[in-house]
Parts: sequence; C-alpha cells; structure tokens
Amino acid sequence: MASPSRAADSADRIYFTLVALIGGALLAYFAAVPVLGLNVAFHFYLMLWITMASAFNVASGFAGYMPFGYVAFYGVGAFTTAILVKKAAFPLFLALPLSGVAGLVLALLFAPTLRLSGIYFGIVSLALAGICRLAITNMPEEITGGSFGLQLGSRAQPLQSFYVMMAVMVLALATILWLSRSRLGKALRATRDDAEAADMMGVNVPLVRLYGWLISAFFPAVCGGVEAWYTNVVDTETAFNTLITAKTVIYAVAGGLGTVTGPIIGAVAMVWLDELIWRQFPLLNLLILGVATVILVLFLPRGIVGTVLRRKPHWRRYVP
Amino acid sequence: MELLILNGLANGLIVGGIYALVGVSLTLLYGVLRVVNFAHGEFVIAGSFFAFVLFSTLKIPPLLAVPLAAVAFFAAGWLLYYVLIPRLARSDDPELMSFLMFYGVSIAAAALMLLLFEADSRSIDFTFTPISVQIGPIYISTARLVALAITIVISIALALFLFRTLPGKALRAAIMNPEAIQIMGVDIVRLSAFAFALASSLAGVTGVLVALVFPAFNPFSGAEYTIIAFIVVVLGGLGNPVGALLAGVVFGLAEQMATVFLPQALAQIVGFVILVGTIFLRPSGLLGTRFRR
Repeated sequence: MASPSRAADSADRIYFTLVALIGGALLAYFAAVPVLGLNVAFHFYLMLWITMASAFNVASGFAGYMPFGYVAFYGVGAFTTAILVKKAAFPLFLALPLSGVAGLVLALLFAPTLRLSGIYFGIVSLALAGICRLAITNMPEEITGGSFGLQLGSRAQPLQSFYVMMAVMVLALATILWLSRSRLGKALRATRDDAEAADMMGVNVPLVRLYGWLISAFFPAVCGGVEAWYTNVVDTETAFNTLITAKTVIYAVAGGLGTVTGPIIGAVAMVWLDELIWRQFPLLNLLILGVATVILVLFLPRGIVGTVLRRKPHWRRYVP
Repeated sequence: MELLILNGLANGLIVGGIYALVGVSLTLLYGVLRVVNFAHGEFVIAGSFFAFVLFSTLKIPPLLAVPLAAVAFFAAGWLLYYVLIPRLARSDDPELMSFLMFYGVSIAAAALMLLLFEADSRSIDFTFTPISVQIGPIYISTARLVALAITIVISIALALFLFRTLPGKALRAAIMNPEAIQIMGVDIVRLSAFAFALASSLAGVTGVLVALVFPAFNPFSGAEYTIIAFIVVVLGGLGNPVGALLAGVVFGLAEQMATVFLPQALAQIVGFVILVGTIFLRPSGLLGTRFRR
C-alpha cells in the first residue's frame, strides 16, 4: 500500500510545482506590465477574458451547463457598479464587491433554470439575458441613464483598475484551482457525468449545482464592474453585447473545458490572435472570429489542453 | 380602439405567417439532424439581401425572387451540410457543439453581409399597384397581402409534402426514430442533407418575404429572427413542424396584440417571456404531444 500513495504524493508534487510555476509566471508577468511599459489596455482585457473564460468553465466544464446568456451577469455587474458609484455615491471599492453580490442574486433568480438541461438550458439562458437587457433599458432614465448610458466621471485610474483586475483574476483562478481539487468540484463533475449516480452516492445534486452556478456568476459580474470603472462609461448596447458571451465561450472552448489551465491558455492564445488579426485586418475581424469558431468546433472540439490530455492521458494527474 | 385591434389581428396573421415559416424550417432541421441552427436568422436575412441584390441590379421583382431564392438556398444548404455536419457528428456532444458551431456561422455570416452591404438598413424599393387594399374598415398594404398568400401556399405545400409524399414521410419518420428508419433502408446521410437544404431553402424564401413585409433589414437583423425562430420552435414543441406552423401564427398575433395594448418597450419582452414560460410550464409545446423519441 505504500507505493501507490508515494506515487500519488509524487504526482501531487509535480502538480503543485506546475501550479506554482504557471501561477508565478502569470503573476510576475502581469505585475510587471505597467513597469515595463507594455500595452496596459491589451493586458487589462487579457486578464478580463482569462477571468471570464475561467468562470464560465465552472458552469460548462465542471457542471455541464452551457449558459449562452452569460453576458447577463457581466452587464448587471457593470450597471451595479455604475449606478452605485454615480447615483448613490458609493466608494468604488465597496461598489465592486456589491457588483459580485448582484451577480449572485441574479444567479439565485435564475437557479430554477438549473433543472433544465442541454439546449433547453442554453435557449432559456439566452432569453433571460435578453430580458435583463430590456429590463435595464426600460428603467427610468434617472437611474440607468437611458440610451446614453452612465458616465462615471473622472474616476478613471487605469493603473489602479489594472491591478484590481489582476486581483480579481488571481481570486478567480485560486477559487477554481481550489474547486478542481475539492469535494465540491468532484461532486460537480460527478453530477455532470451522471446526476442519478451522483445522487445515489449521497451527493446533494441541486445544492452542488447551485454552488457551481453561483461561483460561475460572481466573477463575470465583478469583471463587468471593473470594466465599467476602467472605461468610465456603461450603456446597455455594450454591457449586454452578445459578443461578450461569444468571446467567453469561444476562448474557454479553445483552451479546453474542465481543466484549470484550459481557459487560461485558450484566452491567451485567442486574445493574442484576435489582437493580431484586428491590427492587420480591422474589417475582417468579426468574420475571422466566426470562421475560427467553426474550425475550432470541427477540428479541435476538446480544445488545446483537452486534445493534449487525450493524447497523453497519464498527464491528467499532473496538469492543473 | 377597435380599429387598432383589427389592424393588430391582420398584421398578427401576416407577421405570424412569416414567423411560422422561420420556425418550421428550424424545427425540421432540429428534428432530423439534432443540430441547433443558431445562424438561422442570418440565413433568413441573407434571403432578404438576395432579393435586394436581384432587384437593385437586375430589376428582378421580389415575386420572381421567391423561386430563385428557393433554388439558390437549397443548393447552398446542400453544400453547407457536407462541409459542416459530418465532422460535427464525431464530437462528444454533437447537439451542444452544434449550437456553438452555428454561433460561429452566425457571427461569420453577419460579418460577411456587413462587409458586402455595410451596416445601413436596406429596403426593396418595389411597390405593387394599388399600394394598399381596403378590407372592411382597415387598409393593408398589397405587399403584405401577397406575402401572406405566399406563406399560406408554402405552408400547404409543405404539409402536403410531409404527409402525402414518400420523402416527406421519411423526414417525419427520421424525426420520430432515426435508428428505425435506417433499418428500413433509408440513407440517413442523404436524407439529412436534404433536410438541411430544404430548411435553408425555406429560410431563403422567408427572407424574401421579410423584405416584402418589414420596412427594412440590415446585417444584424439576423439575431432577432434567430430568437423568434427559437420562440416559435419551443412554443410548437421541438421538432414538430405542425406545431411550429401553429406557434408562428400564435406568436405573431401575441406580439402584434402586445404592441396594441402594452408600451412598445414591454411588448419586446413578451416573446422572451413566452419562451421561458413555455419551457417551464409546457416543455412539450402548444400541441402537447411529443413528436420526438
């Protein structure tokens, strides 16, 4: 009995070394961006997409849901921060966590949809995002600023918001890293693969799903708030743009759902590609994004990390 | 007020006919292939642009564009099937991955139309004489009446095809039980390609009608029609063509009535509420019978 546990120990050692290496490299790199004079805006959005794709991964990769209206959380988070700061004169660092709370409340409201599955869930999620957008558009202009949106005034501090975004990303990645090794994460995966079997084994299926759903909703809402602060302006057209869902989903799938590193690698690769294409062919950007999605689904449906792990199944123990 | 209601009913029928066609083509596609065409609205708008180009360059009137669109989109659909679907079927969860893939197709199609036609709203500058017809106390534009007539003809033809001809029966059988029909010696790949082509063809024709009925369209209108198609398909019961035809008319009437009685902003929400409500309260759709396995 000694040798398997020693093997598990050494697997763990490699796993945690990898976590420390990847995490350390990521931290050092992003922390140094403003110091080295690299493009702050590009890296801000890179971190935002890493966070979004990673949080989406909790709902899709871990829990097996495809929320095609994921932008709802982002948009509601953006408006929460904007309204609290602008209309209720909240300090920003109180408004941002409250954006996350707004995301949690919205997730609780949407919780009944968790009993749907497959495309029904996807379609309902899409419709609910539409309802959220219309609801905010139709709120009194004194609150949401109507079609002009809200300007946050002279609160923009690009450098400060950059590091706040970084903190949010680190928190999200740490949460997901914890989740992937925790009882809850294992229960989530078991529920995704076979809900009835998981139930038999004593997993509280609805509760586990709800926890996963809440984690997945919290971070996009905070991202929306931080982005609102960063760009200083919020309106329904951009805050509820379906492209936000599209990019989140595509980046997460490109990397590979169900692993911690997948969405990170997917977001880094695709945001970089997106930037490259956008600079070369600004007009063709959207077209190429669409074609890339089709090619991805057809030729790399498991994503970059997923494909590697399928080729080398024994790496599964080491790769976060 | 009565006039408004009568107008709403008439417009509801006309718009509902269009919604019925949008829905029936999507539901056929889902029923036979188990793929969710997120780009369906873009196919429809591509049909509108097809009619627009024919009219503005070759002076071909929209009525003649209907059969031309049917043929052109049938061919395009057939081709697209063999490019996209066989490979998709090999993934772990084809149904969900199809949603994602057509998400990509939808972005690409909208972007392509944006590149070709720019973001401006377009309309076909074609008028019938007389421009409108008086029916009882209300006036209806001739273009809308013509569109209604075409939707009725297509719906009847489609129903006859599905219930009276052998390929039509094969399609319905494939929706009910795709395994059994293969045992009966039907080539499921060819049948699926046919279903995809037929659905594309219907979408293209619907697009021409959209150009007749609605004042304008632009490359981004597609998303609206995709949502409408989802509402109709869910309301009619996934994969149920008869249900979709009925649901289209019901939704058209509901939407037009909502614009009469509710403020415009709220009327938009009606569709979403119908969609969510149906899935929770009556997931098998209006007719209540499960058409699927």
